[in-house]
Amino acid sequence: MDTDTPFSADQDVLVDANIFYAIGSPSNPPYQRFRSVVQNAGVVCKLPRRVIGELGGPETDRVRTALDEGWATIIDAPSPTDGDAVAASDIAKRTIANETDQPEHEVEKTDAILAGLAIQYIRDRSSAGVVVLTDDKPAKKGIENAVRAQGYTDTIAVHGLEDIIGDNSGDSMRLI
Amino acid sequence: MDVVTGGVTVVCGDSLKYTDFGLTNMTADHDGVRSDGGIDALDPPPRDVMDEETLKPETLARNAPRLETVVQLLNNPALARIYVYVCYWGPVAPPEIMEALDLSKSTTYEYVDRLVDLGLVDRDDSTRPQQLTADPIVIVEQYAPIVITPTVLHALALQEVDEDVAYFIDRYGIGKLIAALRGAGLHFAGKTTQRMVATDIDVRETEAMMIVYALKPALVVGRDHDPFFEYLFPDVADEMDLPDLDQVSDTPTRSSDLDG
Repeated sequence: MDTDTPFSADQDVLVDANIFYAIGSPSNPPYQRFRSVVQNAGVVCKLPRRVIGELGGPETDRVRTALDEGWATIIDAPSPTDGDAVAASDIAKRTIANETDQPEHEVEKTDAILAGLAIQYIRDRSSAGVVVLTDDKPAKKGIENAVRAQGYTDTIAVHGLEDIIGDNSGDSMRLI
Repeated sequence: MDVVTGGVTVVCGDSLKYTDFGLTNMTADHDGVRSDGGIDALDPPPRDVMDEETLKPETLARNAPRLETVVQLLNNPALARIYVYVCYWGPVAPPEIMEALDLSKSTTYEYVDRLVDLGLVDRDDSTRPQQLTADPIVIVEQYAPIVITPTVLHALALQEVDEDVAYFIDRYGIGKLIAALRGAGLHFAGKTTQRMVATDIDVRETEAMMIVYALKPALVVGRDHDPFFEYLFPDVADEMDLPDLDQVSDTPTRSSDLDG
């Protein structure tokens, strides 16, 4: 793996909606840094349809730009009948409930589906590995636990935005 | 009619006052301002929270001006923005405010005059240029619940420069903005997901994610500069994963740090 990027070519990169909110609009430096890391690695961000909805649809500026420039694409949610994916989502959900002190049924479904998707991708299509990006710590932990439980720690990695564009998210912030 | 607010503790500088703010009538009629500062009205507080001492006419009268100043800040984000700037980075001179907040000279002096008249900003005319300082303000009312601190006023003031914050306040009001601020703090401390914030404060997921990031500056600065930050985040004040203020390139500098 390249030392400058957590990605390597041909990996499947699954991206949560909060990453796109965290990087802001295309004119934002964090957006530009994120785009350049993704493009330099030659990977394509896979955005679940549900995530696209949360981002305000495919015509939203930050999504449209990424789709048009070819570094993002829309994918479907895991099949509700896929046992491995459902089991992974359940583990993620349980972890998130535990991390946030909430009852399991209070955990939002989308917070857990990335775990199911990651398992489905690694099992069915990815030879080069899967990277999941989310800016929510409890969700990150949930996916990590699901991956560990199903024995894919070598092939599925979970990262936050900081791991991708570095710890300088404040350098373009207007404070007041 | 039931009394739905209890005593309000107001701290301004080193003076501590306990008063009845009569908040039922305070803000309900003002545009976009929620009277409760929260999501839902809670059960009425116990009757005995109000005692004769608190209800003495002279006590009530003494605190009335403070109530008016807070209402002014809540209803005027541009005013709140200057107040927060002076509070956090004072002593500062008006030209620094103009430059840092990108305001015209006339607007700056007009607002500074108003803040001085309201007693929120102190002006030292013995130096040229004049130096401004402001004591931090905190209003905490457990029964409503209400919590207003410099961090909250900063969040409110961000609507002047951030269209996401402006949209959110326009749609949901200040009470929900404060709830979102609390949710954002919990998110950055890893205690909740952004989708849970959406459910908790009853906004769309899109809106929750948007406002969590839009309010980040108020948290980044507040945890460094707001002495009352822990009133809003008693549990997670030290746990938020946010950039340090010294990493943020446009951090305003105190005038005392500048040459000359």
